[in-house]
Amino acid sequence: MVGKDIALVHVLTLYSKSGGKSGTHAWREKTDTIGVISFIAGQIYEHEHRRQFNIIHTADALLGTVHFAHIPAGSFLALLPKDEVVKSSQTHIEIGSQAYKLFDDLNAEREKLAEAVASLNTAEQKSRQIFSEPRFRDPTSTGISIGPLPSHNLHRALTATRSRMSGVFTLKPPLVQKPEDLLAAGQSLSATPSPLDNSLAVFTTPASSSQSASRPPDEDQPVYFAGSDVVPSYERRLARFITDTLVIFAAFQNLLKTSRSKDPEWIHAEQNLTVMRKLAIDYVNFIKECWIHASQPAPRPDGPLQYSADHYRSLYTCFSLFVVLYLPEPGYEEAPVGEELMEWLNIHFIEPSTEEGDHLSSLKNPWEDETFWPYLTRATLRGLSKASVFILKMLSGHPSEDLQHLAETMASIISSQPRLQNFTAERDFAYASRRWKDKVKALRVEMEQVLEADRFDDFDNWWDRFSDIVGILEGRAEIVQRVCEELGADWKEVCAAWGVFVDPRFRRQDIPDVVDRILDEMPPDPTNVEDMVHTALFSGKAVDALAHASQLDRWLAAHLADIMEPLSLISVDSQDGIPVRDLHVLAYAEYLHSDPALWRITVDYMFSCGDVGAERGDEVLVRVPLRLNDKSATAPVEGEGRIRAGNVVGVLKDVNQTCFDYQREGARRTICRIAAQTLVHEKNYGLAVSYCSSAEDWQGLGRIVDRVLDEYITSGPARFAQYASDIAPSLQNLNIHHPSSSAVFVHRLMFAVRYSNFQQLRIKHELQSAALDLVAMFRDDVVPKSWWAVTLYDAVELLQYRSALLFSAAGAAELLTKLEEIFVRTSQGSGGDYLDILARTIAGGGYKEALDRLKTVRLAMARYFARSAVLRRANFFILESDKL
Amino acid sequence: MIQTGVISTAHGDLVTDASYDFYGLRLATCSLDQRIKLWQLDESNGNWELEDDWKAHDAAVSKISWAHPEFGNIIASASFDRTVKVWEQTSGIGMPEPQQPVQANGSGSNASTSRWIERAVLPEARGTVRAVEFAPHHFGLKLASISSDNHLRIYECLEQPSLTTWQLSEETDIQALPLSPSASPFTRAQQTNALATPTQTSSSLDGASAPLIAQALQQGLQQSSSTSQQRPGLGNREADGGWCISWCKDRYWGELIAAGAGTSGVIKIIQLMPSNRPITLLTLDPSPAVEGAVVPVDPDAGGPSSSAITSVSWAPSCGRSYHLIATGGRDGHVRIWRVKPGEEVEDDMAADSEDGQWSASIVADFENHKSAVGRVEWNITGTVLSSAGNDGRIRLWKATSGNVWRPAGSIGVEQSEQQENENPAERDIDME
Repeated sequence: MVGKDIALVHVLTLYSKSGGKSGTHAWREKTDTIGVISFIAGQIYEHEHRRQFNIIHTADALLGTVHFAHIPAGSFLALLPKDEVVKSSQTHIEIGSQAYKLFDDLNAEREKLAEAVASLNTAEQKSRQIFSEPRFRDPTSTGISIGPLPSHNLHRALTATRSRMSGVFTLKPPLVQKPEDLLAAGQSLSATPSPLDNSLAVFTTPASSSQSASRPPDEDQPVYFAGSDVVPSYERRLARFITDTLVIFAAFQNLLKTSRSKDPEWIHAEQNLTVMRKLAIDYVNFIKECWIHASQPAPRPDGPLQYSADHYRSLYTCFSLFVVLYLPEPGYEEAPVGEELMEWLNIHFIEPSTEEGDHLSSLKNPWEDETFWPYLTRATLRGLSKASVFILKMLSGHPSEDLQHLAETMASIISSQPRLQNFTAERDFAYASRRWKDKVKALRVEMEQVLEADRFDDFDNWWDRFSDIVGILEGRAEIVQRVCEELGADWKEVCAAWGVFVDPRFRRQDIPDVVDRILDEMPPDPTNVEDMVHTALFSGKAVDALAHASQLDRWLAAHLADIMEPLSLISVDSQDGIPVRDLHVLAYAEYLHSDPALWRITVDYMFSCGDVGAERGDEVLVRVPLRLNDKSATAPVEGEGRIRAGNVVGVLKDVNQTCFDYQREGARRTICRIAAQTLVHEKNYGLAVSYCSSAEDWQGLGRIVDRVLDEYITSGPARFAQYASDIAPSLQNLNIHHPSSSAVFVHRLMFAVRYSNFQQLRIKHELQSAALDLVAMFRDDVVPKSWWAVTLYDAVELLQYRSALLFSAAGAAELLTKLEEIFVRTSQGSGGDYLDILARTIAGGGYKEALDRLKTVRLAMARYFARSAVLRRANFFILESDKL
Repeated sequence: MIQTGVISTAHGDLVTDASYDFYGLRLATCSLDQRIKLWQLDESNGNWELEDDWKAHDAAVSKISWAHPEFGNIIASASFDRTVKVWEQTSGIGMPEPQQPVQANGSGSNASTSRWIERAVLPEARGTVRAVEFAPHHFGLKLASISSDNHLRIYECLEQPSLTTWQLSEETDIQALPLSPSASPFTRAQQTNALATPTQTSSSLDGASAPLIAQALQQGLQQSSSTSQQRPGLGNREADGGWCISWCKDRYWGELIAAGAGTSGVIKIIQLMPSNRPITLLTLDPSPAVEGAVVPVDPDAGGPSSSAITSVSWAPSCGRSYHLIATGGRDGHVRIWRVKPGEEVEDDMAADSEDGQWSASIVADFENHKSAVGRVEWNITGTVLSSAGNDGRIRLWKATSGNVWRPAGSIGVEQSEQQENENPAERDIDME
């Protein structure tokens, strides 16, 4: 129940507020009862129609972003039926019929439900008997599934584990024991990179040296294929990881584009920052989703995950840290950051562990346990006030009365520590903090009064331990640091504690200085890439952070850089023409290119990277296999309908559209020319012409027309007429859209079309029309000279038609003129221009045979004139006699 | 890295070249066994299926190149039999056959739906043809070849649908090629050119070596994998030299080609103009002879330490303001040159500076192969360079931030058990 509507929610995370040790909402991997759940974080799908749900909320549609929400547990109504298939695409989800019935039922009682939910959520009643408690399944498999993408890469991915590209990768089967053995045999390796993906074909080749080969030459030689990147796994969630984060990426690009065009100072607009922050948090949510999914012990029929859960955890910590440090809520840029840092630390690096707490609470005299003081210190350091107070309360059973008393005081101090979120003005917070510090000082004074001798119990010097905690509360930097070192905590913890205790007004701009100081004494772990990313982010070294991030995952570097640039964290220009952001985004795009099926995503990223990216995108785009040969997809639609029905050409249409979207006209024309060539090869002339004209490739168009006319010669008039009628519709388009298009080729195309019309009329025995057409063709001067002879020869049949005179006197005279011209020119020695094609239609014939044929035309012509003279005279007499 | 497939018995002898088609869905391979084979990727299972196989030449095939698909399915092959041949795949539907003796392909799996037909033989070369490459598609259906007679030849197809008539539009001796007349005497290019290309000697030697080549052809090449060893001195010129070409993929600069010939160890950037003789815009010379102009460079010193360039590859510029050209040589070096085009300057002010000239600098120079490099080639976006050397390794190179080129992995075919302890130094290199 979202607002007043019933929506489908893809559950990402479940939050619980149980086990009050921290009091914050901790995430839960799964749960069996709704009772322990406080919030459900999820992606909301809006009901569109019937069983369709739309990912994009109409309210947000302008922005086109994915909608996430934290939904109070009471709003949760029911799970989708377990065993039904849910189809999902990037933007839509289709649920099964059972699920739809459920939805329909719920929808019918929407208003009552809304009331009930509202009261449930506000009253926080524990009795949730209104709805039966459905059994939860694990949250991430709540039903959304995406079909496996059709690709052979599946099996590649299975064997793949992430391997850093270091060392020597050896191919199997091995050819030699040692690499030197190859040379000894006069051989060497060679390779050629594939345009399809990032793979190489590796083969054995003669060594480039003057030493001769000793290897027997007749041995079979292999060719290996090796990819330089592990193909992104088709393991479902990861496929969604790539595609879904693209949605956010695209939304972000959109935001930049529209905002920049509106206002150069757009970045300072609060509204824009809000949206940026929201999108960044969306990324964090997706990473979290992947982490949760990856950390599930569910059986994996496709083999182990390409990236471990820990990998996603690293991405999660890095990205969320970035949001904390660089994308504060607008208006809070100057606010103290300590608590946010501590919250980040508590979410990602949970200390002290719950088990320790449970262990201590089960003991009778917990302070005798060696984990007691470390636990208490850590809990305090982490600002986990409830846990600290809980432990301090245990001390009420301690033999030392002093300690009992001190613990009580400390408990009240800890639970009364001012929290920024409870104040409306920072000034009030600072004031409260000072007063609170005074209380701590009082506690210190009280401690000092404890006699030296009373400072021990039977196990430990409790006073020293207690003093450390007070030191933390006092905000003594050296104590915080020492305690952290003793507890095995790293610099991050010192940093966060700094913001909470040492300097409660710790601001974002103060962080780098402090971090530098801390790092001097507590250096980060250089072998831990994640830690290095954190270090660089804390120190405000964005470029370094990206460099480390790209080692962790190119995805991370690309998407961080994408947000960093508008925030002016990294410079827009670089000395070498490719800005830092583009470098990282391109590196990610290159990784994606390792799977050709991801070409759309690959070019989406590339086209966001200036000229360099655009041209690289072109290279990828023009090499997307067009698969025009896929006959299976070809619907038997004829003529114009076939051209219009663009889906016939599958991928081609897609690629074309992508070119249009990104205005890559050059690439589009290249693709069209290739398509036209392929279509000509398949004799699909109609489509070929339309692609040629789309590419404005007039020469290519000319060649196609030639090929069609060739069909007349090789396959005869009937086939020709059929092919020519395929290209006829595009002629009309040409005249409309390209009035200035290169006249010569269009002229030839026009002839082909009209000539085919004429042939069709002949075949259908509409001889009168055919004769008119023939004359009209000559009169309109569309017949190229080389075709005169052929066309005239076609006239013989019409001239000899017995039942009627098909030509007007003027028409016949026109034909005669042309015929005479041929004879005259031939006698002048330029017969080739006129006779070549006719000669080719005669098997084994030459110009002489062609001329012979034309002589029959002349004969037919003479007879025709004779007949017409006689008949005209006869007609004349009839008319005259009628008059009389 | 991941292995994605293998053709275990591709050829009956060593493979001399392999070339993907425009889309990477087909692979043409050629071999010392004189055959060309075509393989098609079955995308449903990732296997490569043999599509066609024929005996193409009367000697080892040295190189193979695909034409741009807008011209159809066309490949050109170069061979030690001194010819370049042009092949076309015909569809089974049967396009008009010109009256030309059609050479039926050898055995092979002619599925009768399509087969490859010889369309033209280009016999002009007076030495073994070492490389052939189709020009970028915007210059029309053209191809360039280079042979051991040091001649670069450009052919242009005159009748496109039939592919039978090819005009030799340019034929030029690489080593005798003049520098661009506009080159100022102070550019590095001219200096090195004067030093490194003693045209006289090499041309006389080439003349003498021609019959030897024929001899070598007859006795050695048809069966064995390299020129015969019994021929020291002149005969080794063939084996010690390097002949290679690579077109500039860009349209903007006109028809440019990088070519290297013989043992000189330099690559020339040659501009082809329709109305003019070809000129050298720039010479890429890695030898440090620039300062010490006195050092006599004898290109015929030959020997195993020859500096001949065996392979050159011009990267697609993809929006960069400069060109990248990679070379691999017998000296074991893989070099990446950054070539900056000359600006079109008219006023004298700018002409003083070097702006008007093409200039080059080496941005990367790797000796990791430690032995002769046989091949360098860029990927389609010009971001990854692959090189192959006599050390039995394929090495990949990538630019990292700051435009520093770094190793990005290597591939071998030895027993993988040894991988762990074999190259600790390399393993330390942090890739990517």
